[in-house]
Amino acid sequence: MNSLPQELIDTIIDGLPRPSLLSSSLVAKRWRRRSQQRALERIKFLSEAQVNRWCTDFPQDPEGIISYVQVARFEGIFFWSDPATFCRALKSLGSLTELWVSRTEIPDELPGQISRGELGKGITVLRLLSTSCTLATVVSVILSLPSLEVLRIVHPRVKSRGLLQSHPVTSQRTPLDLLELRGYVGGIEKALADSGFTFRRLFLDVDLSGVEQLIMLSSETVMELALYGV
Amino acid sequence: MLMDFPDGLAQENPHHTISLPALTTLDINLRRGGPLPRLIAILSSISSAPALGSVTIGHNRWSKIDQPFRGAWADIDRWLAQVARQARVRGGLSVMLKWWPKGKPVWEGFLCDFRRAGGQVKTDAHS
Repeated sequence: MNSLPQELIDTIIDGLPRPSLLSSSLVAKRWRRRSQQRALERIKFLSEAQVNRWCTDFPQDPEGIISYVQVARFEGIFFWSDPATFCRALKSLGSLTELWVSRTEIPDELPGQISRGELGKGITVLRLLSTSCTLATVVSVILSLPSLEVLRIVHPRVKSRGLLQSHPVTSQRTPLDLLELRGYVGGIEKALADSGFTFRRLFLDVDLSGVEQLIMLSSETVMELALYGV
Repeated sequence: MLMDFPDGLAQENPHHTISLPALTTLDINLRRGGPLPRLIAILSSISSAPALGSVTIGHNRWSKIDQPFRGAWADIDRWLAQVARQARVRGGLSVMLKWWPKGKPVWEGFLCDFRRAGGQVKTDAHS
């Protein structure tokens, strides 16, 4: 076993099904790290209690196994009894690159904490599916994520407009990779167009009011365009 | 360049024409039987896409494309002929066309302007 190069061990572990990763982490010390990385690279939270337990069990530890989490998905948490829980969990996930929020409320506190650099610095992919939020909150979240590359928004449940502030992208930000807007997006498309973001790929419902404006803003950069006739 | 569609759909959106110099791929995904006026209006606002190499027309292959949408298909045909004649059209729609019984007049002239302009329609069932 000791003669096996680490790359070969990693390749073996990469081919294992997820349920086997706990066992493989116990094979030998050289198997542990990769097994834990794979086991924890994607996590899903299905309740606020589960998020609370995570925050208790894994306090912020940038060097610990919590740093293996790349993709976090929050699903079915329609309402936070303590909105700070969501922010606390995201703060603990300092290595996060993808955030999926599905049928879950985005608390109004979130964009402020992102703007202050307290969380979300490494998030490149944001997926919002039937997310409950105010327009002001979701737009502020989008505009304050500094590394955002891929933005997918499908059937958000925009509760109200909130106090929508103007957030023009003043710095010469390079085009983002992908924007997907599907379903009724409650003014998000207009806010994005006003912000001046440009994209290389656009996936858009044709019924959105600002489709032409979004295409026009990205006219020099867009390489792939998908139009959905709803 | 403004499109001159006989049914006047393009006139809903004649304000801007958009040039997309970097566009290489266009996916058109249809539901409810055929292309909607809104889709035609958006396409008609695109006046130029010189790098466009692939157009995929996706469609639910189990639903019929209804006769009332024939005019809209003609609009798409003209748009393809003017803006995307260098592209290859492919997708679920062309698969369905292959299945359609021969002799149905609705398909006789399908994408004929586009073909006449040199465009290719890929009808490979595995595309």
